Amino acid sequence: MKKTHIAFIVLIAVAIGAIIATFTNAGTYATFPAAETQPGKTFTVIGQLNLEAEMDFNARQNLFRFVAQDKDGNERTVYYNQPKPQDFERAEEITMKGFATDTAFIASEILMKCPSKYNDQNQVADVTE
Amino acid sequence: MEYIGEALLPGELGRIAVTASFTFALLSSIAFFVMTLKKDQNPASLKAWDKLGTWTFTGHMVSVLAIIAILFYLIFNHRFEYDYVWKHSSLDLPLRYIFSCFWEGQEGSFLLWMFWNAVLGMILLFTAGKWKAPAMLTFGLVQAFLASMILGVYVFDLKVGSSPFVLIRELPENIGAAWTFWPDYLTRLPAFADGNGLNPLLQNYWMTIHPPTLFLGFASTLVPFAFAIGGLVNKDFKGWVAPALPWTFFSVMILGTGILMGGAWAYEALSFGGFWAWDPVENSSLVPWLTLVGGAHLMLIQKNRGGTLHSSFFFIILTFLLVLYSTFLTRSGVLGDSSVHSFVDLGLNQQLRFYLLFFVFGAFGLLLWRYRSIPKKNHEDSLSSREFWMFVGALVLLVSSFQIIFSTSMPVLNLLVGPEGYLPLLENKLAAPDDPIDHYNGFQIPFAIIIAFLMAFTQFLVYRGNSMSKHKNDIFITIGISLVAAILISLNSSFPHVYFLLLFASIYLILGNLVYWIRVAKGNLNIAGSSVAHVGFGMILLGSLISNYKKQVISKNDTYIAKDFPQNENLLIEEGDTVQMGNYHVVWTGERKEGNHRIYDMDYLRKTEAGFQLDFTLSPSILATDNAGNNPEPSTRHYLHKDVYTHLTYADLRTEEEKAQGFTNEATVEVGQGDTIIYDKQFVIMDSILVEGDLTKQPHEMDYIVLGAKINVVRMDGTRYTAMPKYVIQNNTLNQIDDEIEELGLKFHFDSINQETGKFAFKISKREADEPPFVVIKAIIFPWINVLWMGSIVMIIGTVLAIFQRIRANNRTPSTTTKE
Repeated sequence: MKKTHIAFIVLIAVAIGAIIATFTNAGTYATFPAAETQPGKTFTVIGQLNLEAEMDFNARQNLFRFVAQDKDGNERTVYYNQPKPQDFERAEEITMKGFATDTAFIASEILMKCPSKYNDQNQVADVTE
Repeated sequence: MEYIGEALLPGELGRIAVTASFTFALLSSIAFFVMTLKKDQNPASLKAWDKLGTWTFTGHMVSVLAIIAILFYLIFNHRFEYDYVWKHSSLDLPLRYIFSCFWEGQEGSFLLWMFWNAVLGMILLFTAGKWKAPAMLTFGLVQAFLASMILGVYVFDLKVGSSPFVLIRELPENIGAAWTFWPDYLTRLPAFADGNGLNPLLQNYWMTIHPPTLFLGFASTLVPFAFAIGGLVNKDFKGWVAPALPWTFFSVMILGTGILMGGAWAYEALSFGGFWAWDPVENSSLVPWLTLVGGAHLMLIQKNRGGTLHSSFFFIILTFLLVLYSTFLTRSGVLGDSSVHSFVDLGLNQQLRFYLLFFVFGAFGLLLWRYRSIPKKNHEDSLSSREFWMFVGALVLLVSSFQIIFSTSMPVLNLLVGPEGYLPLLENKLAAPDDPIDHYNGFQIPFAIIIAFLMAFTQFLVYRGNSMSKHKNDIFITIGISLVAAILISLNSSFPHVYFLLLFASIYLILGNLVYWIRVAKGNLNIAGSSVAHVGFGMILLGSLISNYKKQVISKNDTYIAKDFPQNENLLIEEGDTVQMGNYHVVWTGERKEGNHRIYDMDYLRKTEAGFQLDFTLSPSILATDNAGNNPEPSTRHYLHKDVYTHLTYADLRTEEEKAQGFTNEATVEVGQGDTIIYDKQFVIMDSILVEGDLTKQPHEMDYIVLGAKINVVRMDGTRYTAMPKYVIQNNTLNQIDDEIEELGLKFHFDSINQETGKFAFKISKREADEPPFVVIKAIIFPWINVLWMGSIVMIIGTVLAIFQRIRANNRTPSTTTKE
């Protein structure tokens, strides 16, 4: 066997390893109840902020608390021990990465999808009404 | 109908220029294609084709310049009737950012790309010699595709391209709107007085130089690709390598610079605290660079020793296709919310996909078709030959880029094999890895270690030969010194496991190449290119390792919340108060405004024997805009051996009036009679509605009615309170009287009555505690990050030297005499 063939075999083995790692390391999208079936395991929940519920940022504890609704409409209190993200109220959609406990969802990372900064044509259309 | 105040002529001219650029590009591609195929026919007819191709491509260049000039004219003159101008610029924008407006949108960035391709194409027209036609046929084709992306026409209901010259009133969503029938709509509608403005993230000096550099990098990958395709078309499988080689190194240099500038921008202006975050958009520009570096080295082997033609073709073609793929990822909207800088889908998804597939099948199809004709290697590489280990290095780069691009393509995998994809193999959609940094580093750190070792000792080997013995001492001594240095550093501050290996490998990489340059190359600057570039790369690795692995968050918050909560890395600081962060004592001295920036000055003090002394002041700020939200901008103090980085993670941005109202945590609730809700650890019960007024009258005759909501509040300890907010209608005017429970600091506002559900809406808010103003900051010390930046500059210099080295080599030996 040629030396380059050995190199190729190693290459393919590592590439397969990379594919497997991508699938095993991938996060899981879930709803709140699904996350609650495995408390403590990390899930990614996509949902919306409940603007009607109380939102509280305790700066001294650096703890932010709000109520979110997942895509099926299940509501949970979410704790996030980071400062409240800027313009949080404007978020159309929030992606919360974290784990469930008996009482609340503990988020370690929050991504917000804000109304498009680029495509705000409605601003022009609105003035006609 | 005539509209007043519109400038229609520039738009018309712009559209004509776009169409012309498309047509010219296509014609030049056809002309050069015919010329390549007929290369053996009579010179007279060849000359005619040559002339046609050259003139049409020149025409294309002129059209591209015209499009750019017109778009600038519109932006400079604030012609807000044009959608592109309205969306991406505004009256108050400083002049230096006008260029950034130009490429903020997709159309403009396509234009920027086209511009660089056209410039490179023009250079090739004059310098490529006999490779002119075979290389330029690809240029014309690529340019035609790019021009089609900004055509903005409909072919059988299919949108082809998105034009930067569309008027707002011509947008599909505005067709038929009432205001489009007003001749004076431009002056009548306040919305047209000013544009939407530039995204604040782009209002940074890096953003005026990073995109043009990166796009020149993308454009430059077309040159080696065009040479490779030309070689496949005209069956000159070896001849393309030598003339393409300087261009390949040029591309390595520019694309590398563009990527590093992106890192510098992220470090300086974005607030994720670092220069690299394995963000999908960063990844998709890094991956073609890795394969390009691999390809460049394979071409070097081919030129010096031969035998790597197949892999050179593969790497160079793959690089260009990865550039297209990265364009597809960032512009089709596939990445959606997984990245900070992806574009919005303009409805060009289909076209981008077609563009990508066309080149994937076209280029790889051509390679497969010609595969058997490409001369094979007729020798076996010796284990101690330079070419064998360079080849292994290229394979490591390939698998490294594969790992990155495969993981980055998760959204694409979801589209293909996800539960809602074309071939539903997966049960669940894939989400980003729980810890993306670990996921990528787990593979990329070992790859970096291998690459670093290869880069260090392969220099000492020679092509084809076995001369290991000659430099044996140098190799072992540098390894020894590097190992000692790595151990000394890690005794001082620990680097466990792989981090130690990377530390060792990168020191060895730097040292090995220095020693090679001094001992073997005798310090000759003419052949220093590879050594210098490799030293630079070693410094980048070393700088990234130390600044990232040893970064120290000094803004730790020790408040204990629960055992599952990670230790917090943000610190609250009150105005005028002093908090300790690492070796510093930090005072927030106050807030000031500069334009749209709110600046928060932080004094960093050091304790000395004479008391506290001011070391330096940092001014992190928040850029507040109406239409793009609030964006924090970090502030960094640079030292030679470390950076102190500070950014605001929270600041109270309310105006003075809003603060004076003193109520916070407002919640809107809709309740029926008897409903109970929980607000701020208290039960709030909607007890009953009391009605006051002359109820004998008919509703429409009533001139006075008061609805009072009796609300009971029960605390956890059982104490009860009552509030009565009122909803008063008198003489057809509405008046709401709020009520407050002083002891609890709760305020109730009777907001509205929902006629359909019969429920009542209230706003509840809580009195703010009397607190001094505060902000929350995050501060990080990055040790030795300057090694990374200096390494970047050294690598760029080294690559420039390599380019000249290759050009000189080509001038010495005619490009046809490539060794087998």
